[in-house]
Amino acid sequence: MNEQAGTFAADQGLASCHTCGKVTPVAEQHCTRCHAHLHLRKPHSLARTWAFLIASIAFYIPAMALPVMNVSGLGTAAAGGSSGGSTIISGVITFWNMGSYPVAIIIFTASVLIPLLKVVALIWLCLAASGKLTGPPRSLALTYHITELLGRWSMVDVFVVAILACLVRLGAIMTITPGPAALAFAFVVILTMISAMSFDPRLIWDQRRGKKISTP
Amino acid sequence: MQRKRHHHGLAWPRLDPHDQVACHFCDALQAAPRLNEGDAALCGNCGEVLFQNRPRSLSRATGFSIAALIFMCLAHSFPFLTMEAAGNHTELSLLESARILIEDGNVILSFLSVFFTIIAPLILTGGLLYIAAPLSYGKALPGSIALTRLIQHSEPWSMLEVFLLGFLVSLLKLGHVADLHFGIGLWALVALVLCIAGTMGGIDRRELWDRLELAIHQQQKHPKANTQPAPQE
Repeated sequence: MNEQAGTFAADQGLASCHTCGKVTPVAEQHCTRCHAHLHLRKPHSLARTWAFLIASIAFYIPAMALPVMNVSGLGTAAAGGSSGGSTIISGVITFWNMGSYPVAIIIFTASVLIPLLKVVALIWLCLAASGKLTGPPRSLALTYHITELLGRWSMVDVFVVAILACLVRLGAIMTITPGPAALAFAFVVILTMISAMSFDPRLIWDQRRGKKISTP
Repeated sequence: MQRKRHHHGLAWPRLDPHDQVACHFCDALQAAPRLNEGDAALCGNCGEVLFQNRPRSLSRATGFSIAALIFMCLAHSFPFLTMEAAGNHTELSLLESARILIEDGNVILSFLSVFFTIIAPLILTGGLLYIAAPLSYGKALPGSIALTRLIQHSEPWSMLEVFLLGFLVSLLKLGHVADLHFGIGLWALVALVLCIAGTMGGIDRRELWDRLELAIHQQQKHPKANTQPAPQE
């Protein structure tokens, strides 16, 4: 299908629009079809990806260490967790001990495993794009797609807290309010999502071809 | 002269039939072939999907987004769940949960959840209806370009399906604490999630932009008489 194998858009000064995909000379500055700004590559892609990544790691620590929701009242034992705060990890442990293995696995995967794997995947992609690591392009592509696809599902714990806080308002018997970790965790998810969006996968191929394409 | 607007197996009309496409993954430049319905073009260099022609994309997007808007109204009018415990009666809905979050002083969290579960899904469904319905008659309404860009940027932030998973987890947490009753809102929410998936899965990004470009071009050429449908080869 590719009769002009080895032709790359950036070598000919052509930019493919980030928004609509139209191929236009980069000298036009704005896409003729959707009026978005044209760039050969996403501007400062690696620097931005690293910055958002480091910020998300910083938020990950309070998200795990602080209570994600505060449970007060008489019936606290029934809702899981000691009275006072319950962290994400202690919630998982409670469910595991109660025998609700599927729930424990869902929460552990969505809240602990996926954010961690996402950070590791983005670090690998960044290192591959800056030439410090190499990897087969197919698996790098797969990593990128999985990272983009899974990121949003980590938000599930934030919604659980919002739903429980809305329903469990029984005054003296039991009341649940969101803890400080809920907001920190929402920021972890948002920052890793922005980090993945700032990453430009074409940098991996530029690295393989040994080309450096400067972005204005 | 062809009068029918939907032809099975036909490629969508394009302003420049000999267009080029650069792979968004490896930047390889190649000719953009015109695809029959149901086909996809893969990059010759890295094998990523370049674009695909999804069957009856505009009518699918229109239909699913109308259905989604109806279910959205229902999901906001009725509670998802009512809980009876110790003489207390509490209800769950998207707006109610946002209101409680503000009452507890979590303004940012409340704003985020409103954006992810109310605003972004509304932009996706309402926006796509505004674009796709007139586009099946070869027309583009004012503001279509800015709106299509907005839709694309808010797509990853629409998280109703994640909310639904969170709802299931909450049920398991509450199951043995209180009496729970499902409301109409919950079934509307499930249907809404399915309809949003149908809306967004119905149309390819490049196809939407190609059709939009042609519609705008034709309106500029014939500012008054743009009643005939887009030419199809």
